Amino acid sequence: MADQDLTERVQELISENPVLLFMKGTPAAPRCGFSMRTVQVLDQMGIEYGAIDVLPALQPLREVTTEISDWETFPQLYVNGELLGGADIVEEMFASGDLAKALGVEQPELPDQPEQPQSAQDLPAQSPPLKIEGSG
Amino acid sequence: MAADLTELKAMIEAALPGAEAEVIDETGTGDHLRAEVRAPQFEGQTRINQHRMVKAAVRERFDDGTIHALTIKVLD
Repeated sequence: MADQDLTERVQELISENPVLLFMKGTPAAPRCGFSMRTVQVLDQMGIEYGAIDVLPALQPLREVTTEISDWETFPQLYVNGELLGGADIVEEMFASGDLAKALGVEQPELPDQPEQPQSAQDLPAQSPPLKIEGSG
Repeated sequence: MAADLTELKAMIEAALPGAEAEVIDETGTGDHLRAEVRAPQFEGQTRINQHRMVKAAVRERFDDGTIHALTIKVLD
């Protein structure tokens, strides 16, 4: 069973920080590829977030998050008190725009995004249906 | 013991009736697996809950050490 003092401390942190990342290492020096990928996504969102390095207390924290969130791997991103996911989910939600929605921010423009269609003419599927004047 | 991909697929599909699951051995070492799952139970659930449902279905194989990493891809 998870340490109760630590559990309470973690729950406090989650409720005090609207965006909180439990990660291996720090945002400046991630020590795991999954944590690094999550930090890279968050850094593009233009938001402030809290970050906690789990490495000094990995096993106790794993027990705590398993108990409170049914999730035992790190990183874990909490938004408004709820576990959003780990690296895979964060990246997928970033790509779909759902992460921006969850964070309440605009989807950032990415310089290295796949090339956009050259002009509106390349987007027939998104054009409104043509109006036929004078019919009916 | 190497993971039995067919068993894992069956465990997911049994836990989530109506689901279609594919379990792939990404590295060929049997312990880093990828599950692609489509399930009617996912409707209206957050991504994290969808992943929890898949993990819960195969928890026994995590607990006994058969698998160490499972990447989950939810198909819409």
